[in-house]
Amino acid sequence: MKAMNEKETVLRIDLLNKRFKTVQALRDLSFSVDRGDIFAFLGPNGAGKTTTLRILLDMIRADSGIIAWYFNGQQVSLPDPPLIGYLPEERGLYTDLPVIRSLVYLASIRGMQKNEARTAAMEWLERLDLADRANEKLMALSKGNQQKIQFISSILHKPAFAILDEPFSGLDPVNQEKFINYIRELNKQGMTILLSSHQMTLVEKLANKVCLINRGESLFNGSMSEIYKAYGNKHMVDVTFKNAVPVAEIQSFDGVESAVGTDPGTARIVLQSGTRLAPFFSQLAGADGVTHIRSHSRNLHDIFITLVNNHQL
Amino acid sequence: MSPFSQIITVTLWEFRRFFKPKNELIGIVVMLFIFSIGFFGGRYAASGEETKSELVVADNTDEYLISMLQESFEVTLLPADETGKHIGRISETEEGKYLQMQGDTFLLHAWEEPRQLGTLKGILDEYDQLRNMEREGVSGETLEKIFQGASLEETYFQDSFRRNRNIVAISFAILMVLAVFVSFAYQFTAITGEKQIKITEQIVSAIRPQRWMDGKILGITLTGIASVITYSIIGLLAGMLVSQFTGYSVFSVFDSLYFPSLAPTVILFLLFTILGILFWNAFLAAVASLINDPNNSGKTSFMMVPILFVVLSLLVLNNPDGTPAVFLSWFPLTSASAMPVRIAVSSVEWWQVAGSFAVLALAFYFLRMLAAMIFRFSILMTGKELSWLEVFRALTAKTPGKFQPPQSE
Repeated sequence: MKAMNEKETVLRIDLLNKRFKTVQALRDLSFSVDRGDIFAFLGPNGAGKTTTLRILLDMIRADSGIIAWYFNGQQVSLPDPPLIGYLPEERGLYTDLPVIRSLVYLASIRGMQKNEARTAAMEWLERLDLADRANEKLMALSKGNQQKIQFISSILHKPAFAILDEPFSGLDPVNQEKFINYIRELNKQGMTILLSSHQMTLVEKLANKVCLINRGESLFNGSMSEIYKAYGNKHMVDVTFKNAVPVAEIQSFDGVESAVGTDPGTARIVLQSGTRLAPFFSQLAGADGVTHIRSHSRNLHDIFITLVNNHQL
Repeated sequence: MSPFSQIITVTLWEFRRFFKPKNELIGIVVMLFIFSIGFFGGRYAASGEETKSELVVADNTDEYLISMLQESFEVTLLPADETGKHIGRISETEEGKYLQMQGDTFLLHAWEEPRQLGTLKGILDEYDQLRNMEREGVSGETLEKIFQGASLEETYFQDSFRRNRNIVAISFAILMVLAVFVSFAYQFTAITGEKQIKITEQIVSAIRPQRWMDGKILGITLTGIASVITYSIIGLLAGMLVSQFTGYSVFSVFDSLYFPSLAPTVILFLLFTILGILFWNAFLAAVASLINDPNNSGKTSFMMVPILFVVLSLLVLNNPDGTPAVFLSWFPLTSASAMPVRIAVSSVEWWQVAGSFAVLALAFYFLRMLAAMIFRFSILMTGKELSWLEVFRALTAKTPGKFQPPQSE
């Protein structure tokens, strides 16, 4: 086993492989999460994210590879329940029972004292404007409010490491922003967070590290600054034309790396690194029928799509 | 958090979730109310039958028959020459019964078939037999002598509590079946229901499937036992109510069972019963783990298996020391009820009792593991129920990881 900086690393995954009947779900997947990280674990549907999370929690076993957790200076293959919080992608709580009762039970099987759990649950319910509904059955709450309860149940026992699978799904934009702040706050309090989500703009606001996988394979693993440095330093230009997009003409312009039609009459152009915008715009102005031009740097969403589209096994 | 604490947390959660003392109390009150209505209603209805119904008899009828009839009917004598008139009156008023003798034949005229027809026929049969005996010259004394049974003095060397033990053993078997049936519905809510509301993945991330399953089995067993105790209390209360009106003390049942002498046997039977309930609950938990939707699963019929084997175990009564009985008292599916019945009706070696108990305990130990294993695999099967082939593959896989549920992402 490689020498580890045990003070920093909480989770290390090395060369993880998992095959289902006909699908190689994970292929030599490796990444590590350090204490205090907000680690974004990203990938399209079917990339192997949930499989990885289930392997981490020992719900299914990997065919090969190493999973090592580091807590209190010790390496363990599976952390004690109080150390881990898990918000599964597949949501579910006791719909026919009072909210507070379910929350206290779920925290108590993770080792929290019942009184302490009740107090903590009420504090969270107050923060999420649900204190007056603590004794109502979950089924009486809206989908968004049920999502809030589900979130509380995953972090109520103050775990050292929280795995949040799609924490923003089912939330309106206002509550998404609130959840971003809650996650930041929990992180500041010392909780390490592994976040899996499709909402790149939200992930971008939170994460300091990212691992992007596709078809079970890691496409990028590093810090957010590294991913922008590697893939985000190219300008992108969205151009709208009155008529059809002259893709061939655009591709012949100096400094153009790629040009694709996104919608009828619209093209997305990626410029080569170091391309100066002024000469490019001069060329573009000569094209027939340009009605609208917008230039921007690549964001995480663009990088995600580019990397996944370019990924070939 | 220790495994034991987690199991106890789940056990108490399940018990408190399903056993609701308030509801049980309401159940007792409702049952007592229904029983009281049934009991008093029955008594009221029966009180009507105690009043003798009216029967008109022709005055030329044999006096001996009249005296016999007077024991069950309010007999009114009618001059024989008014027979036709009276029969006409029955037709007009649509009520009344008239009996007359015509030689060896009895004639009954009534508006409708009387409720006491059976009683009347019995009296007439008895009278007819006596009349025939008299004609044949057989005296009453002679007849009594002919039908007198053989004189038999009975001396038995087996202890006199065999019958009592038998009652206790069968009672425990019934209690076990009751407890298992009560658990039947709870298993669906506790296991299949949780799979349906998709909470299991969150639970299993916090607690090992085995601990979760152990907590479920223990909690539901406790619920079943508590419910059976409640039903027993209802039965006792109902018995006490009956004793108030019948003069038969309900406590005489306990007296006849003579508990001090039976105490060790009762404790032994109790241990077998509790282990049997645990065993069957582990079985039901394994079945419930297989099922995704109770309304559309063919596996629900497996829930009826326990009663089949308990009934089968009662075959031991026929020949408690025969090979089939010995087998049934060792076989885990029947031993919880068969061994107590064998002990009740025969002399069983202590090592057989201990061995049977150990086998049952071992079977429970492995069955709960099987239930947890099935549960672990089935929660990852999104939208698909485990087939028997997949269960078999799961059981024969060298490591749990070797079994591959379909990709769910």
